[in-house]
Amino acid sequence: MKNVIEVKHLTKSYKSNKAVDDLSLEVKEGEILGLLGPNGSGKTTTMNCILALLKFDDGKIKIFGEEMSPDAYETKAKIGVVFQEVAVFDELTVYGNIDYFCGLYIEDKTTRAQYVNDALKLVGLEENKSQYPKQLSGGLLRRLNIACGIAHKPKLIFLDEPTVAVDPQSRNNILEGIKKLRDDGATIVYTTHYMEEVEILCDRVIILDHGKIIASGTNDELKALAKIEEKVTIEVADLSPKQLGGFEKIKNVSEVEYDNGVLKVVYNKGKNNLGDMIEYLKTNKIAYSKIFAERPTLNDVFLELTGKELRD
Amino acid sequence: MTVSKAFWKIALKNIGTIITYTVILIMFGTMNINSGSTTTTYEAEKPSVVVFNHDEKVGVTKSFIEYLEKNTEIEDGYEDNDRLKDALFYENVTLVVEIPENFHQDIALGKNPEIKTRSSAGYAAELAKVVVNRYLTIAQAYSKINLSEVDLTAKIDKALESSSEVEIQTVVDTSKYSKPTRYFSFANYTILACVITIICLIMSSFNRLEIRKRNLVSKIELKRMNLILLRNCCLYAVAAWAFYVLLGFVVLGFDTLWNMHGLLYAANALVFTTCATTIAYLISRVVFSSGAINGIMNVVALGSSFLCGAFVPAAYLPDSVLGFAHILPSYYYIDANNQIMEIQNYDFETIWPIVLNMIIVFGFSVAFVVIANIVSKKKQRVA
Repeated sequence: MKNVIEVKHLTKSYKSNKAVDDLSLEVKEGEILGLLGPNGSGKTTTMNCILALLKFDDGKIKIFGEEMSPDAYETKAKIGVVFQEVAVFDELTVYGNIDYFCGLYIEDKTTRAQYVNDALKLVGLEENKSQYPKQLSGGLLRRLNIACGIAHKPKLIFLDEPTVAVDPQSRNNILEGIKKLRDDGATIVYTTHYMEEVEILCDRVIILDHGKIIASGTNDELKALAKIEEKVTIEVADLSPKQLGGFEKIKNVSEVEYDNGVLKVVYNKGKNNLGDMIEYLKTNKIAYSKIFAERPTLNDVFLELTGKELRD
Repeated sequence: MTVSKAFWKIALKNIGTIITYTVILIMFGTMNINSGSTTTTYEAEKPSVVVFNHDEKVGVTKSFIEYLEKNTEIEDGYEDNDRLKDALFYENVTLVVEIPENFHQDIALGKNPEIKTRSSAGYAAELAKVVVNRYLTIAQAYSKINLSEVDLTAKIDKALESSSEVEIQTVVDTSKYSKPTRYFSFANYTILACVITIICLIMSSFNRLEIRKRNLVSKIELKRMNLILLRNCCLYAVAAWAFYVLLGFVVLGFDTLWNMHGLLYAANALVFTTCATTIAYLISRVVFSSGAINGIMNVVALGSSFLCGAFVPAAYLPDSVLGFAHILPSYYYIDANNQIMEIQNYDFETIWPIVLNMIIVFGFSVAFVVIANIVSKKKQRVA
């Protein structure tokens, strides 16, 4: 697959603060690339530099093989952007807004009408097309924001935290819509600090912190970096220090944490850790109300690499 | 097409504000035409004077007091010095004249007796001094020739009888066009305020950072988009101008404007409206906060109107102010209006200075568009 975006040694500073530090990345055609990082990690700045909305200090950016610049209108014609802030006209209806932004790319009225209706359908706003933005809920407004960015059927789509402050129903709708765009052939760059979304959606993930790439790869490749096989969480009403010490001696357990009646046991190896744990509790007559196991998350990867939580 | 459509949809959404602003400001203009004076004759004001006569009221002294009674308002009852001081301070009395002992005799003998005076501040006191000095100058001039006191008094009285009737000729000649001139010169404020407020209001929607970012990443060329927006701004401005001119026909009368003068006023206003549009366009490219837009509109519209003579005739403004006003397009617009008022014959010599002013105003418009586009280009990136 060929590269749609090539960024080499991108550096952008705000006075003495380096927002993006010697960042290089590639985005393959047809993939969803997740840019994951906490707030202030440089995701949006990187995106704005790629879109030539920000001047940068150093580096080269190519999109579809062409150097990106404010005057690269042919390249811009193939790009759709959904910004983090809702960017719509309060004075235009839902249909009017999508029609306006689509009209910046598609001049033919019939084609445009078709595209606008497709976008309305994709984000599930067909019944709201005559409403004004102020009449929409936060979730519906976000969907409109997305529709305005993708209505002209771009080949490359940038989505900057499109699900911030969105209700679960709208979030699912948005994520489904994004998958459909990828299935229709679009290449997508998706920035977020929600690791769950990245795990569901992205083919490849780049984790950013302080403007630098600290890890990149597929979900599985990244999780392998966490040095954790499984985490077992048990709700135990009471544990003596002796009983607690016993957990640390279990095979493959690397970490035990007990707080407020919740016991967390981290395994670094092993396949049937949950079954073994249930057996251990039974043997040692330890009463528990709830037990579950989970695979390592990208947050664990981030924690492993930076020593802090992704949402810090 | 898409951009134009959005422009007018946004305008329609703000139609209440647009109509209110346009009508109120334009009504201001029409009310202003009735506020000017139409006085065509000049009448001297009589200053109030207190006279203390220490001489006998005979001969020249009697003549002097009668002259003062005729040309000033003689005030009585100020024997108390403190009361007199207060009256001078509050300018109830402008001049105190003390006629010395033997005044009539000294004048008859060709001497130069001293008249003691005390005056208040202000121009009325100066006027009173001029009245007093006029008598004394004439009296002393005649006293040089050997005349009896009776003859001397008669000569002075006769000389003082002659007076000049002052008439303001220029107002008589141009009175027919003084109202249209005032109406169109006031348009400097109404058109500037109306056009800047409304255009900036509409443009502020396009200038919201999020919308601007989306427009900037689109395939539409920045220059083309700016031109489309400017064209639509001009269309609105022309509509406002047409409304103002039509209202002029209603307020000033069809006959007053349905002639070459009217055509020139309208053409001059159209050129200025174009310039006002480019000013509004430039402001909208530089200032994105709607609160700031109102403040800037007031500074630009009110400031240029005061400095260039839209509210107060340029003739009353100090040279330093007028000198500064030369750097503003409003000066050339208002100056052209004043020149249109003075036109007697429609020949090249009289029309050319007006056309030249219009060309200068148009030059300002071109400069504002160029600056706006340079600023816009610089803001093609958001940081």
